[in-house]
Amino acid sequence: MNTHSLRFRVAAWYAAVLAVTVVLFGFAVYMGLGRYLEQTLRTSLRHKAKDVALNVAKVPAKGEPWFANEMNEDFDNNKMFLRVSRQDGSVLYQSIAPADKGFDPQKVPRISGQVEQDISADRTLPDARRLIVEAMPVTTPDGKRFLVETGALFQPIEHALHGLVVVLAVGLPFILACAIAGGYLLMYRALYPVNEIARQAEQITSRNLSERLPVLKTGDELERLSTALNRMIARLDEAFQHINRFSADVSHELRTPLTILRGELEYVTERQRLAPEVLDTLGSALEEIDRLTKIVENLLAISRVDAGETRMEQQRIDLADLASTTAEQMQLLADEKLVSLRYRLQPGIRVQGDPSRLRQILVNLLDNAIRYTGEEGWVEIAVYTQAGNAILEVSDNGAGISAESLPHLFERFYRADKARSRYSGGAGLGLSIVKSICVAHGGNVSVSSQEGRGSTFRVELPLATGAVTGQTPAPPPKIPSEVHEAGYAQLQRKS
Amino acid sequence: MRVLLIEDEAKVSSFVSRGLTAERFAVDVARDGKTGLELAQTYEYDMIILDLMLPGLPGTEVLRQVRRTNSKVPVLVLTARDAIQDKVENFEAGADDYLTKPFAFAELLVRVKALLRRGPVNRSSVIRLDNLELDRLSQQVKRAGRRIELTSKEYSLLEYMMSNAGRVLSRTMIIEHVWDRSFDGITNIVDVYVRHLRNKVDELHDRKLIRTVRGVGYVISDQAEA
Repeated sequence: MNTHSLRFRVAAWYAAVLAVTVVLFGFAVYMGLGRYLEQTLRTSLRHKAKDVALNVAKVPAKGEPWFANEMNEDFDNNKMFLRVSRQDGSVLYQSIAPADKGFDPQKVPRISGQVEQDISADRTLPDARRLIVEAMPVTTPDGKRFLVETGALFQPIEHALHGLVVVLAVGLPFILACAIAGGYLLMYRALYPVNEIARQAEQITSRNLSERLPVLKTGDELERLSTALNRMIARLDEAFQHINRFSADVSHELRTPLTILRGELEYVTERQRLAPEVLDTLGSALEEIDRLTKIVENLLAISRVDAGETRMEQQRIDLADLASTTAEQMQLLADEKLVSLRYRLQPGIRVQGDPSRLRQILVNLLDNAIRYTGEEGWVEIAVYTQAGNAILEVSDNGAGISAESLPHLFERFYRADKARSRYSGGAGLGLSIVKSICVAHGGNVSVSSQEGRGSTFRVELPLATGAVTGQTPAPPPKIPSEVHEAGYAQLQRKS
Repeated sequence: MRVLLIEDEAKVSSFVSRGLTAERFAVDVARDGKTGLELAQTYEYDMIILDLMLPGLPGTEVLRQVRRTNSKVPVLVLTARDAIQDKVENFEAGADDYLTKPFAFAELLVRVKALLRRGPVNRSSVIRLDNLELDRLSQQVKRAGRRIELTSKEYSLLEYMMSNAGRVLSRTMIIEHVWDRSFDGITNIVDVYVRHLRNKVDELHDRKLIRTVRGVGYVISDQAEA
């Protein structure tokens, strides 16, 4: 479960608020019920005391035996406690123990001192139970004073409260759970369209910008969200189309004059007999036209890859195969500079993509590595998997790249070495092309380097599904050096 | 051989028609799509060179209409647009070949000749040039009877150059035939391979067969240097 999802957070808040409310409610009910029951009991005890007091008033007329008899009838088999005492503290009447022997009236402590008015005089029994007692002083017509005490155990109330606690403890969590589950489901239903919109928006890339999200006809915020997203996609679509049109127009506008220049110069050099210095000048102009042509081509290639060329080929490609066949074709470039090519290739790693574009990554990186590696240096090509990605690494022990140049290396027209002879290739576009192709394939390229020690260019590409066959993934296999040599010799023979 | 060139850019049509005329073609030039289509439907051309961005009728439409009445004439499409979908669209409309601007005239000529089947159709297994001999079956190369050891890339390069002997080949043409487009762009791989090939083929001999035409490319020929 994603604890950052809106659904989870809303449900969690909702659950917390609900839980606090429910606990407060339970507490209030418990307290309220306790007070209510106690008050009710006291009221009924006072009523009873009043009844008894009326009878006490008749004692001078009817005699004490009559009173005892009267009380016995009333309090027979009654759970109540009754004690009527004279002014000197002696007992006129005391109820017998109740039928369930809940308490022993004999052991109820006597009240101390004079009681002048109606009071609550709760007692604690020897066994620590509470006895609720209402005391009421009575004066008979002949001036004798008596004290009437009625009482009952607090225990039944405690039992009732305990029962309530049990009901609350079982019932409230159940209600809470139901409410949370219901709320979570409601959130799920409410947010389902958002997930759907996110999923579908995820599918839209620069290659299928003409597609739109389904518009929800719910009339709420979600409908607004989906139409707003669609309008944004439409604007993106327009922008991309604009870029594509622009590249097509630029290509036409730049290429036509280049064609004419080149055609005219070639015509002159081939058909006319010219002085050698004129030929040389024209040749130099032709070389510059060539360079300009390459820059235009490369710029267009980058803008097309960036704009998401609609018909990029899609194949499953074995990266190690691609690396070795490409490097093999560039062997001579390395031989020229006495640079040795080393291989560390894990076979069976497949990526999805355009083979000629992926090869261009290798060509550009290898060309770069060989160019900046001094004589007797080495360039290593490694292919392995790491964290679910295919990794292609081209490292060398050449000049390396200064720290201030590193962040700009993949920018268009950036040259790490400003003083470098200008005719050495794509005018600082080679690495931008690599980057564009990597990004178009859903990957990335990074570089690490130490000046004077060498550089490592690392390309990460997503694996094609089910790409690694019969191989244990990372760490990259360390192939012993004689295997390098064998691979090297074999490749040399083939080239 | 009569060629129809449909191209609105005057300067391009000028050097192309001059170049083709020098190669003994008869060239008619049309400056817009409509005129071009009329000419194509009126005369029997051996070949049509067609630019795509034309005023009036677009090139692809001209191509479709030409194909409706004449399915045989080879059509070479010339264009500044090289996106893959443009190429596919035009091949589907009936183009036979495709050349992207800016092109080297030499490349245009090679393609025109190939389409007219007058070009390098030397299918005998042995190609000879002066005392250099290349056997396509055994893939062996000899100069003055002495065997020259070549790597497979060097062999492909030499075979391509010898099949087009006497013709200047641009680096792009060589890359496309011997490597593939992904090697184009930043490398000087062609120059390195030609240099190696030249060492092996020409070093021990007074008569140098492989020449550099500065700014254009390379040529193998038994003609003395101009």
